[in-house]
Amino acid sequence: MRLREYEAKQLFKESGISIPPGMVIKCAEEVFGIKNFPCTLKTQVLTGGRGKAGGIKFADNANDAYAKAQDIFKLKVKGDLPTAILVEPKVTIKKELYVSILIDRAYRGPIIMASAEGGVEIESSNSIQIVPIPEGNYSSYLGRKMATQLGLSGADVLKFGDIVNKLWNVYTKFDCDLVEINPLIVDGDNNYVALDGKVTINEDALGRQPRFDGMLSEHLTDLGEREFKGKMCGLNIVELEGNIGILCNGAGLTMATMDLVFHHGGKPSNFLDVGGGASKDHVARALDLVASSETVKVLLVNILGGITDCVEVANALKYYKDIRPEAKMVVRLVGNNEAAAADVMKAAGIETTNILDDAVSKAVAIAG
Amino acid sequence: MSVLINKDTKVIVQGITGGMGKTHAALMQKYGTKIVGGVTPGKGGQEINGVPVFDSVTEAKQKTGANCSVIFVPPYLALDAALEAIDAEIPLISVITEGMVPQDAVKLHARAKAKGVLVNGPNCPGIITPGECLIGIHPGSIYMPGRIGLISRSGTLTYEIGLGLKQAGIGISTAVGIGGDPIIGIDQIKSLELFEADKDTDLIILVGEIGGTAEEDAAEYIKAKIKKPVIGYIAGRTAPPGKRMGHAGAIISGNKGTAESKTKAFEAAGVQVAKTPSEIIELVKKRIAVAA
Repeated sequence: MRLREYEAKQLFKESGISIPPGMVIKCAEEVFGIKNFPCTLKTQVLTGGRGKAGGIKFADNANDAYAKAQDIFKLKVKGDLPTAILVEPKVTIKKELYVSILIDRAYRGPIIMASAEGGVEIESSNSIQIVPIPEGNYSSYLGRKMATQLGLSGADVLKFGDIVNKLWNVYTKFDCDLVEINPLIVDGDNNYVALDGKVTINEDALGRQPRFDGMLSEHLTDLGEREFKGKMCGLNIVELEGNIGILCNGAGLTMATMDLVFHHGGKPSNFLDVGGGASKDHVARALDLVASSETVKVLLVNILGGITDCVEVANALKYYKDIRPEAKMVVRLVGNNEAAAADVMKAAGIETTNILDDAVSKAVAIAG
Repeated sequence: MSVLINKDTKVIVQGITGGMGKTHAALMQKYGTKIVGGVTPGKGGQEINGVPVFDSVTEAKQKTGANCSVIFVPPYLALDAALEAIDAEIPLISVITEGMVPQDAVKLHARAKAKGVLVNGPNCPGIITPGECLIGIHPGSIYMPGRIGLISRSGTLTYEIGLGLKQAGIGISTAVGIGGDPIIGIDQIKSLELFEADKDTDLIILVGEIGGTAEEDAAEYIKAKIKKPVIGYIAGRTAPPGKRMGHAGAIISGNKGTAESKTKAFEAAGVQVAKTPSEIIELVKKRIAVAA
């Protein structure tokens, strides 16, 4: 779950990282409470590229700020409309840096990434320095090590190291996948200040992070309607543009089935991974979700039961056939408990096939 | 022979009194796995499916001689359970649990590495040596014994290929479901190393998927160290970029982790790449025919 800038900065502040004295406004009229001008108005959307899109503006006085806040509240950035603007006094910037902590897959642990050049295009920068955190055991010298790798010296080594120490605290305390300050600036008084922040909380950790209870739904602005509904009931659906609805279990098999639909000349409308160990009710909800798209002409169900009990799936299919007798389904159902599942399917009058290629070509033929 | 597990492997199930643990302990027993006990703290002294339940892994190991543990505990308890098994020096641990927090997985694998313990998973189907031993959640009846080594990031796709091979009358030595999470223990390279050394494996199937660079790294390893033929497959060739495909690990970010890059790396390492699961079986058949 990616946090908005002001939410990320609140975590930074609580951990002792300096941030500009900001104010979050939810409507344009609130700008008349701003005390310090000139100020920066920043749209609080969850997508990148907000500056280029016109979501960051400077204002010299209240009237100027009012007009600009009105514009920003109306401005969609990659489809995302802001519900808040962060107002901060304009700061003096002596130097801009970049620093983040994230898990590196290949290293199998967290790393510190930083650059002496902060700014927007950090991903394409070749000035990035990396300090791995051995066995995930952080110690302050690692922050200082990074500081010297960036060419800092003297008091700056301690100041930068202190920022990394505190960033590490945020990273571990809130089960983050990513904590990032970009830019980290050195202001007129030589203080290190987080001018922008990005924090991603691991979604699997939300159940043990009560601070973020109930916040997920308003942080999923990049999902389509069905994808959002699916996510809310634990179903991973991805929308495409064809006419075959695909329901599988397991990400690899789901992707392989989708690839195979394209291979046989068909086009998926969407595909859904029902996950492992799904119950009858869960599968029934999944069927409803896949079929709810108007473009779906045929449902292709491919289930290989390991932790999933084929009988649960068969009962869901039977239930679905009862309420939607007109729906066209091609079903392949094999694995744990498949014999008992076959009996349920036979009784329900649902045809099945054992061969994946056959199932896919049949679905493609029906879809036309 | 086989890799990692065989008919003599003595297995305990951590979380044996929970729903999943109980169900799959019974399925593993039915398959023929030597389940010698279970562990659920606070429930020691009970019996499940005819095997004793212990309060701790250390006790279970002392009383049963277990040399493998399969973990079925809920995600937030999985790290503790795995650390307990590592502390008890169980040499092979399979973490079936899905939804483990990545920072927990980092701690788990760091400790396992320090203690020289092999960890399979998390979020994986486990390992099967057909006809001898099954640990985890593979549907046993889908595989037959033979001489093909199977490595896969995806559980159900492993079953798909096991089934396809069986339908073609081809068996496997061992299938290692390495798991789809970004941070895993036994990976493609470790599995390749084990199969290369196994005298009863003739050919290796490596099933990858989009996301990360594990396949590219495996390709480098194959080029340098693997003499046995390898057949590869990549799931997600048609996946839309930027979307998470179920597994936390399966996502194309920017130009990294694409099927094209992985296919190229495989081909450069002399790995034949199948476009569909059934083509894997065709390629295996051809290889076997050539060898014969």
